Parts: sequence; C-alpha cells; structure tokens
Amino acid sequence: MLKHVALAFGVLVVAGGTAATQQRVPSTPDLQGVWQAMNTAAWDIQDHTGQRFPGLPARFAMPGGAGVVEGNEIPYQQSAREKKAENFRNRLTADPEASCYLPGVPRITYMPFPFQIVQFSDRIVILYEYLHATREIYMDGSPHSELALDSWMGDSRGRWEGNTLVVDVTSFNDRTWFDRVGNFHSDQLHVVERYTRVGADQIMYEATIEDPNVFTRPWKMRMPLYRRTEPNAQILEFECYAYARDTGEAGSR
Amino acid sequence: MSARLVVLASTVALFVGFSVAPDAQEDRPARAQASCPQEPAKFHPCALEKAKTFTPPRTPDGKPDFQGFWRGQPAATENIEEHPKTDDDDGGRTLIVDPADGRIPYQPWALQQVRDNRAHYVEPNAACFPSGVPRSMYVPTQIEIRQNASAVMILFERAHTYRIIPTEGRAHADSRITLWQGDSRGRWEGNTLVVDVTNQNGRAWLDQAGHFYTEAAHMVERLTLVDPNTIHYQVTIDDPTAFTKPWTMAFPLRRNRQPGFALLEEACHEGERSTDRLLRLGFKIYPGVTKPANP
Repeated sequence: MLKHVALAFGVLVVAGGTAATQQRVPSTPDLQGVWQAMNTAAWDIQDHTGQRFPGLPARFAMPGGAGVVEGNEIPYQQSAREKKAENFRNRLTADPEASCYLPGVPRITYMPFPFQIVQFSDRIVILYEYLHATREIYMDGSPHSELALDSWMGDSRGRWEGNTLVVDVTSFNDRTWFDRVGNFHSDQLHVVERYTRVGADQIMYEATIEDPNVFTRPWKMRMPLYRRTEPNAQILEFECYAYARDTGEAGSR
Repeated sequence: MSARLVVLASTVALFVGFSVAPDAQEDRPARAQASCPQEPAKFHPCALEKAKTFTPPRTPDGKPDFQGFWRGQPAATENIEEHPKTDDDDGGRTLIVDPADGRIPYQPWALQQVRDNRAHYVEPNAACFPSGVPRSMYVPTQIEIRQNASAVMILFERAHTYRIIPTEGRAHADSRITLWQGDSRGRWEGNTLVVDVTNQNGRAWLDQAGHFYTEAAHMVERLTLVDPNTIHYQVTIDDPTAFTKPWTMAFPLRRNRQPGFALLEEACHEGERSTDRLLRLGFKIYPGVTKPANP
C-alpha cells in the first residue's frame, strides 16, 4: 500500500511540473496592466452632494459625485434600510475601512488606489496597492472552494464570455461595506463582476450584487477603469494599519 | 516557537492540512539522494554545483520556469543565526553562508540595537506588517511564484503580501519612495534570476530575534533551480549603516507538490490582538533606526 502511495505521489510530481507554466492565452482579451477607478464611489456609490464628513477636517470633506449604481437605487429590504441608516450615523468609526480591514469586493475595485491585473491561462491575479490585497481568480473551470468560507475578499472563479471576463465571487463574511456611508451586505453576498476592455486604456467594470438577506432583488454597479499610463506607474504600498499603529489610532484595532 | 508565532500559527491552522512539510520529506532516502541537504552550510555549495549541470524547465518565452508553490526555511523566522531548541523556539542552523562563522557582521552600535529591538519593540510580523525582503522568503507559510514575459510575481500566504519583480529593464522607483517590501528589479543571468532590491523603509526585521537592516540596505537576490523541485535562494545584504561588510544567506525553497494546492486568505490584521497586549506591556511599534551620531 505504501508503495502505491509513493508511486501515486511520483506521478503527481511529474504531472504538476507543467501545470502552471502557461501564460495568457493569446486569443483572450488582454486586461493586463495597472488600472484605477476615477470616481467618488469610495465615498458613496449613489449620487451624492459634496459635504463635510463628520469628525474629519474640512479638507477631507466628501466630494460630490455621480453614483455608480444602475438607476441610483439600492433595493434594500425594510429592516436593511434601517440598518443602513444606523451605519450612516456611525460611519466615522463603524466603517470597516476605519479599522483598516480588507474592503471586500467590489469595494476594493473603486478604492482610490491603483491595482495590477496579471493573466495566466489557468488564473488571473489582481494585486492591489490598498492594503496589499490580492485576488486569485481561477480560470480552470473549477467550482468554488469550500475552504474559503467567511473570507474578506471572497472566492473568485472566472470565465470568458466573448470578450468579457466574468468573475463569480462568493464566500464572503458580513463585515465589509460598499462605501463610506454605510451601504452594506450580509454573508449571503454573491457578486458577479464583468470586466470588458473597451479601449486601449479603458475597461468597463460591472458588478451585479445579490444578497437575499439584505436586498429585494439583484442590482448593479457600473464604472470605467482607466489605465495608469504614466511611464513610471507602479504598484506601491498603502499600509493603512501600519499608519494607524504608528499613532495608536482606532485603525490599529 | 515563540508566543507570537503561535498566534500566527492559530490563524493559519486552517492551512496546515493542505501543506506538504518539506522538512519531513527530507527523511525519504530517495529524496535525500536526489536533492541537496537542507542545512544551509551544506546546501549552498551542493546547490551551486548542481546548478552547473541542471537544465531547468522553460516558460513559453524561454526563461527558467520557477512557477508553482514553494516553502522556505520556517525556523529561520525565529532567528536566522544558529539557535537552540528552547521552550520558545524550534531551533535551527544559521542561514548565513558568508561570513563563514554564520554571524551577521554588525557594527558595534547595531549589535546593541539588536538587543534594544528585542527588549523594546513589537516584532513587526506580530503586528501583521509586511515581512520585507528577504524575510518574506522564509516566513512559515506558502509562497507562490508566477511569471510572465515582463515580471516575476511572488505571492505570500503570510498576510496576503506579494512582490512584483519587473524583468523588462525599468529603473528603480525614486529613492524618496520607501517600501516595506523594497523595490525589486529583476534580470536574467543564464539560468539565474537576479533581483536588485532597494528603496527599503527600514522597518522590517529579519527575524523574531530582532535582527535588522536599515533603509540604506541594498539586497541582491539570486534564484536558481537546481533540481525540478528545489530553488537555490541566495541573498547578499549590503548596508554600510549597520554592517561592517556585505553578508550572504542561502537556503533551499522546496516545491509544494500537493495537487490542487491553493493559497488561502490569511487576513492577518483583521482580528489580530497580540499587538495590543504587547503595547500594554510597554513594547513600542518599531519606527526604524538610523545610526547614532556618536555611536
């Protein structure tokens, strides 16, 4: 029996050697590069007016902006609407961003920091400057992992639909928000992202949000992502909790 | 293993079932013959010899193919110098192959700083800060290497950190930009990936024992496949502020051959509580140090 196990192990070694070596399949769209959203969704994903943010100096007031939610309507269930209002009142400290926690999906996409997409045949990797967050999007047809329950950034499985990268994201915890004004979800969140290259330096990004515990129906965000075309553009580090630790502020918890 | 590492271990316990322990495999007679010994002082010359004849697999663009999952030298995160097994530590041999005594050639002030680090500061990894280079390469979690024509990406399960190593010849970031992980630029020398690392913020340590470098540090790493499942990893650290001369560590990265293996999310900071306890005990957040004016 032991010999059989050893033999099986040996075979797998051989099989494993070449599995990861393929780069982007040339026939698939090239989404690679450094990208960034250019909007105010990090503050509020719905239409919003400019205003002071309670507790912050005037120069950190919230800029006004057009929302990214289709129809500008988030279809909360009644109890969830009350929870959102409570989140809004407590937003200065209750927002998980205030604790420098991983922001989840899709919020990580429109945080005001660049991210880099790297493509391989079996995997697409996204490396984010904000909190050195990473996502590995499995492109090998594999099902969602049972090991990723209760995660901050979810479990991502992707496929190509024509020229669009479609990413199905599940296994979230209930601790992230969508923005700084308290829009939220439960651990039943299911996100379907769509990345479509629409120009040399532009990706159209869509995220369909589904959560039967919080919303009455699925709803959608949509925004362009722009390439950082500066010749010296590169992903640096935004180490939120390290900054918080340096001054002992709330974000260190 | 220190209390800090136990805290870390509890957060990664989920993964233990999936990881192949490379050290355990060293007991297999077949492997012992096929690869170089684990102990750095023996591994280093053996691997350099093997590198002369081993032909590595290639990526589609013809570069040595390092892709896959790997694991470094976990006990080194306790102390990269030789250290005994104690109630706190698993113990291990030194990673330092030059100088021959296996000790970091500190200047006198810096040797005192190592003691001060241990006595007064929170070990940066306990607070989930990025491990820096080279420590990222031997923290006790899994490493994934991915390559394309313009870069080598290294992803670490430890606190979901990563390195992007451009290999297409771009210049280093401006020296005013400093980074926990440093700024890496790679190039190919035969079958070896040579990585030049600068722009350190000087806040990462080398281990739990307080070994450190400053923001003046300049690292040159060399990664070479010496058999299908072993990378010879070598890094030379030059830091005229802290050391009397450049020094070099070397150790194997062993391939994790578990089928279907995947990195999981180690959300380290989220829920991390040991740092608060250490701060209450009087330890401080390490701000990085500069050489005293009159050492």
